[in-house]
This record gives sequence, C-alpha cells and structure tokens, in this order.
Amino acid sequence: MELDPHLLHVAIRWVHVAAMATAFGGAVSVLALAIRPGSLAAGAVVGVALRYEWIFWAAAGVLAMTGIGNLAAFGADLSGPSTPWGATLVLKLGSVLALVVFSLPRTLAVARLSGSTGAIATVVVTRLRNLYAATTGALAVILGLAVWLAHG
Amino acid sequence: MKLVTWSLATFHATTFVLAIVLFAYSGGGLGGALSGLNTFVGLGLFVALWATTYFTTSKALAGLDLIGSVRDREGYVRRTLRWGSRNGMAFLAILGIVALFAAVSNTRPGQVASGILFPALFVAPIALVVSAAVGGAVGVIFGFIDLALFGLAGLGGTDSEPTV
Repeated sequence: MELDPHLLHVAIRWVHVAAMATAFGGAVSVLALAIRPGSLAAGAVVGVALRYEWIFWAAAGVLAMTGIGNLAAFGADLSGPSTPWGATLVLKLGSVLALVVFSLPRTLAVARLSGSTGAIATVVVTRLRNLYAATTGALAVILGLAVWLAHG
Repeated sequence: MKLVTWSLATFHATTFVLAIVLFAYSGGGLGGALSGLNTFVGLGLFVALWATTYFTTSKALAGLDLIGSVRDREGYVRRTLRWGSRNGMAFLAILGIVALFAAVSNTRPGQVASGILFPALFVAPIALVVSAAVGGAVGVIFGFIDLALFGLAGLGGTDSEPTV
C-alpha cells in the first residue's frame, strides 16, 4: 500500500506546528514564571527553565527536520530567493539559525545556575527573565514570518 | 544523558543542516535537490545525522566538565577534530548503506555485482577519507564556535563551581 503524499505532508506540517507550539509556549511559560515568580523560590524557576531546555532542543531538532520536509513538499515549484516569498524564507531561515546559535549560551547559563550550590539570588531570576524574553521575542518573529509564508 | 551533551549535539546537527539549506536555497538549487529526495529517506537521514552527532559529541565530552573547568573546555576543542571526523565517517557509512540498498533494488540481479558492488568497493575508501576530512574540519569549526558561545554564556577564563 502506498502512502498518500498529501497526507504525509500534512502529518509533517502538523508535527512542525506542534514542535513550534511547544518551543514558543514553553518559553512564554518560563518567562511568565520569571516575571512573576509569586511564592516560588528562585531555585524552582531555574528548575522549570532546566526542564524547558531539554524540550527546547528536542523541538529545535524536530523543527529543522520537518521544516526541510515542508520545503521538499514544494519540490521544483519552490519559489526562488529573489521573489518576496523567497526573501521572507531566507529571513526566516536566518532567524532560526540565529535563534539556535544564541540559545546555546542560554542553555549553558541555565545548566550552570542549576549546578550552583547555595541559595539562588533574586538577580538570577532577573537574568532568566531577560534570556527568556529574548527567546520568546525571537520565536514570535519566526512565528510571524512562518504565518506570512503560509498565507502570503 | 546530560543537558550539555544533548544541547551541543542538537545545536551542531541543526546548525549544520540549516546552514546548508540556507546556502543551497540562496544559490537557487534547493528545490531541485529536495524534489529528488524521498520524504522518509530525508527524515531518516536527518535522524541519522542527529544520532551520530549525539554519539560523537557524548564521546568528545566524556570525562569533561565544560561548565566548571577552563582546562576541560580547552581539552574539548582538541577532541573535536578526532570526533568530528568519526562523525563524518559514521554518517557517510549510513548514507552509503541507504544508497547501496536503493541502487541494488533498482538494478537487474545480473548487473548488481559488476554495476553496483564492484564500483562501490573502489569508491568507499576514498569517500571515507573525504568524509573524515570534511567531518574533522566541521568538528574543529564547531569547536571554536562552541568556545565563543561558552564565553557568551559567562563561562570565561576562570574555573567556576563544579556542576552536576
């Protein structure tokens, strides 16, 4: 039995959207916790951030893999880089590349904080807030570009 | 499994693929290249690259504390050549097996030995040397990028507290 290519591409697109929702939703959640930790200790916010970092990298790998699958669905009909759609795609790919590159220092910083002995200072929560605000902003820009590419 | 290993391996695999895609698309050759690739094979090759990169990154990081020790970070950069070239060879081996199976299944049984297996025997050693060289070069480049990103994460010159 041969698999319907349309069905396969819908499934790949679904996984791509689910991975983006996980990465973006998780970044928003950690940011919200870092902005208003409430009764949570700073260590608890770091703990949530640490779990998010595991999920973020899984989502990043899945996004790259399924993103290329989405491009493959266009085949030879893929618009060139000189078209407005193509220029937006280059911008999106560049933004994703930049996000992945600058996410590594964030992960390393969270890993270092999680390994620190003694009480975690409030200043650490401020640092986490800045890191996850930047991540959320970058993901929001990429999401906006993806929506434009899908409907533009 | 450690977070540093997981994040570094995924960072290497995704950055490598994204850079190639961006470069190929800017050059105008991506559509044609992707249209000739079976979807499952494409997804499988990415997973294979991810897996070999994870394995080789974990080997390169074995016994090192990148977060806590400057000396270990320097030691990691020295290991990137060796493990990068092994990653290149491992990925090529998987790629070669997939290509060999595809070629054999599309060739008449009488022509498999002379048309596929015999030429593959000659090409394989050369391809392995090239993949080791490319993998080693990519590994060293990533080693220096990693070192710069460690610095950006505040893991600068002096040793910090040891981590779990």
